[in-house]
Amino acid sequence: MIEQIKLERFTAFENLSVSFSPGINIIIGENGTGKTHMLKAIYAACDVSKSQKSLADKVNRVFLPSGEQIGRLVKRKKVSTTGNFEVTRKIPSINKSLAIRLSLSNHTKEPAKATVSGAYKQWQEHPLESVYIPVKDMMANAPGFRSLYSLRHIHFEEVYADIIDRAFLGSLKGQADADRRKLLEILQKSMDGKVIAKNEEFFLKNKQGELEFTLLAEGIRKLGLLWVLIQNGTLLNGTVLIWDEPETNLNPKLMRTVVEILIALQHMGVQIFLTTHDYSVLKEFDLQISQGDKILFHSLYRNKSTGEVEASSADNYLGISPNSIDDTYGGFVDREIEKSMGKLGK
Amino acid sequence: MKIDADGFSFDFTDAINAFVFDEKDESKPNYHGLPMKAVDIVAEFSDAYIFVEMKDFHDPDSYNEVLAGDEDDGKAKRANFKWLKNYLKYKYRDTYIFRHAEDKADKPIHYICLLTFDNALNTRLQKSLMQELPVGKVSKRWRREIANSCHVLNVDRWNINFPKWPVTRS
Repeated sequence: MIEQIKLERFTAFENLSVSFSPGINIIIGENGTGKTHMLKAIYAACDVSKSQKSLADKVNRVFLPSGEQIGRLVKRKKVSTTGNFEVTRKIPSINKSLAIRLSLSNHTKEPAKATVSGAYKQWQEHPLESVYIPVKDMMANAPGFRSLYSLRHIHFEEVYADIIDRAFLGSLKGQADADRRKLLEILQKSMDGKVIAKNEEFFLKNKQGELEFTLLAEGIRKLGLLWVLIQNGTLLNGTVLIWDEPETNLNPKLMRTVVEILIALQHMGVQIFLTTHDYSVLKEFDLQISQGDKILFHSLYRNKSTGEVEASSADNYLGISPNSIDDTYGGFVDREIEKSMGKLGK
Repeated sequence: MKIDADGFSFDFTDAINAFVFDEKDESKPNYHGLPMKAVDIVAEFSDAYIFVEMKDFHDPDSYNEVLAGDEDDGKAKRANFKWLKNYLKYKYRDTYIFRHAEDKADKPIHYICLLTFDNALNTRLQKSLMQELPVGKVSKRWRREIANSCHVLNVDRWNINFPKWPVTRS
């Protein structure tokens, strides 16, 4: 379970520390406040515990800076500078918190020259399953992508290849437990079918037949991906699910199902990180969470005087401040009043 | 002109007149006393009137009507949009009729509902309320409008938009 991230002069962040809920973490903020960067740093740290790769390599492939020069991830300054990020996780089996840190300078050209410190050996002795769902759907583009990615140097952030790998993991042996079966049924009802894979191609299978993913609405593909990840056991107790903007291409009505599933996954012990720009995501969580649910809303915003990214966290929807999503609606309220009441009251 | 009503304190600094419209105290000159629905406050300015209705959902008493017959408390209450919309609509219409009979509907009237929802929910409620009051000259037969505009907002937005009428929770 990821407990905390600290970022110093790394990408958009000058100096930021955020503590996370062991359940659901929802990150909001305007464009350019580093939401996706935070997700990617968390994901890289999770992934190396299992893949046994170097953290610097993983970060470089996940962020994909120009020319793959890892030093470009240091926050841009006019002078030479160094940056780092540190991720802390709690390992229940040894009841201990461990931290790993990646440090680099803006002159660091190769990942091998970056410094990885902290409890890296212990970190890798306790593998952590994680999955990162990127904004763009990859399910329809799966055929051939994995072999192409492994054979050729194509310019794709590694999260796209990783998600296809996770989706192609074989099913767990035996019947799914009752919790997973219930979630799979909810998703099957919403997308009217099950997902099957044939020769690296995904299909939605129902009474009408098999429909290839390229012919499916992108929103349904997202539900399909969730179905696959639950069905193949990727999303189990102890997994970290990271989802960048789940609302993309999803009809707001389907968001109710997605949030229902996410809350249920949290009950099953999955730790969730997601970013959103969408009111219906926030409101669905506000309406569906119950007492006892573990949820934190994290708002990333730029300090008006320093211009630096800061964060505030709240355990309930109304406590989010600033709330960049609701502020947009507030702007509509202001313009409507200005339009119809002019200077009255001003 | 300071007014205290329903847990809020207003100061209409540039008002010609402002008073509690649904006054229940018979000794007050603006005692309402009729079996009609009534908004909380009416304020008069040189070129307009405003009708103000507050609904504080942090006040448990405010929940009672909404709760009737519904077990799923907070969520259902917030979901009970139709009830709230009608509540706000009929308050305005009855108040308009009362003011018309007083011969005090002679300037544009703006209806402002002060709720404790977020901005997004407020804008949704406002849209329905504008259609149903209705706002503007919506019939070809009408020579005048019964409501010039309608706004649903929370305390933060009120204070941003109406600096001459600051409001606080009393």
